[in-house]
Amino acid sequence: MKPFRYERASDASTAVTMLAEAPGSMFLGGGTNLVDLMKLGVAQPQVLIDVSHLPSHRVELLADGGVRIGAAVRNSDLATDRTIRARYPMLAQALLAGASGQLRNMATTGGNLLQRTRCVYFQDISKPCNKREPGSGCPAREGYHRNLAILGASEACIATHPSDMAVAMVALDAVVHVLGPNGERTIPLIGFPSPSR
Amino acid sequence: MTISITLKVNGATHQLSIDTRTTLLDALREHLGLTGAKKGCDHGQCGACTVLLDGRRVNSCLAFAVAHQDAEIVTIEGLADGERLHPLQRLFIEHDAFQCGYCTPGQICSAAGMLREVEAGWPSAVSADLNAEHITLSDDEIRERMSGNLCRCAAYANIVPAIAAAMQNRSPKEVTR
Repeated sequence: MKPFRYERASDASTAVTMLAEAPGSMFLGGGTNLVDLMKLGVAQPQVLIDVSHLPSHRVELLADGGVRIGAAVRNSDLATDRTIRARYPMLAQALLAGASGQLRNMATTGGNLLQRTRCVYFQDISKPCNKREPGSGCPAREGYHRNLAILGASEACIATHPSDMAVAMVALDAVVHVLGPNGERTIPLIGFPSPSR
Repeated sequence: MTISITLKVNGATHQLSIDTRTTLLDALREHLGLTGAKKGCDHGQCGACTVLLDGRRVNSCLAFAVAHQDAEIVTIEGLADGERLHPLQRLFIEHDAFQCGYCTPGQICSAAGMLREVEAGWPSAVSADLNAEHITLSDDEIRERMSGNLCRCAAYANIVPAIAAAMQNRSPKEVTR
């Protein structure tokens, strides 16, 4: 694993500024995907900005019947939240169908959406991969691809997003609230520019 | 990049000078000499490294030590009360719930965290009613909830009854302490 500097963000706007100002920086949430990718050499951040302590741990029932889910809400807390279980059982079931008890206790909602593909060639830096190195090729097209895309793939990449949670959220017309250097905006989850796509 | 950190493990506070890349598992094993938590896959798939972070079971191989300085960490070494074994430890022995024993610390820490989740009414993927107030811990429920802990000796046939006995025979408070 490459050496990195560890920083902790105190609030969301500070986190955005830190990310914009530090070259090669990435956000750390639960770490279940990122730490693994760092061990594999796929992710090589120079600075890790820990955002798991930001105050976004709530699942709020809104007046219109919807819910707002904090990016730092753990998968287990979301799956077992009484409101989610009663009003959005599809989302609770999708979460409980994924990973293990230990991983769900660590993984965050934001990190779940932003996780990288599980394509074995993406995870193996000794292999070509258009997603890691554009133009290097895609061994998955002819190789091991039984969990990869049939529909919606491109010539360059047939990777899929691994999240069960995201599938349920897309079916529920979820909208992602994003904070960036230019302020807040909302993006329908179906068009969310996830790094897995 | 070396950094000074504080870890609270099994009730004791430790000052460590470590590389930021050190996982919680490596900090426990290599820096604190707590070799109970095991390195199996080192990728969060086998559960041998399971410890309790603020009472919740997690894979310590996927956690950076530097990120968990605020947490109360409990390892298998911290479950027993001196010479008095934790009920799960005693029941694993009574039920012969292991062969080589490599996965056992992770299995027991995971079971301790899992029983707390049951006590809190958390459903699992095999629970018939997501909204039930009370979870009946059937063998199927135990298998599903313990699916993050692999045993290559395949001692599952005895691990499941050991955990079932922990739930049936003891007060929840004792089991989840």
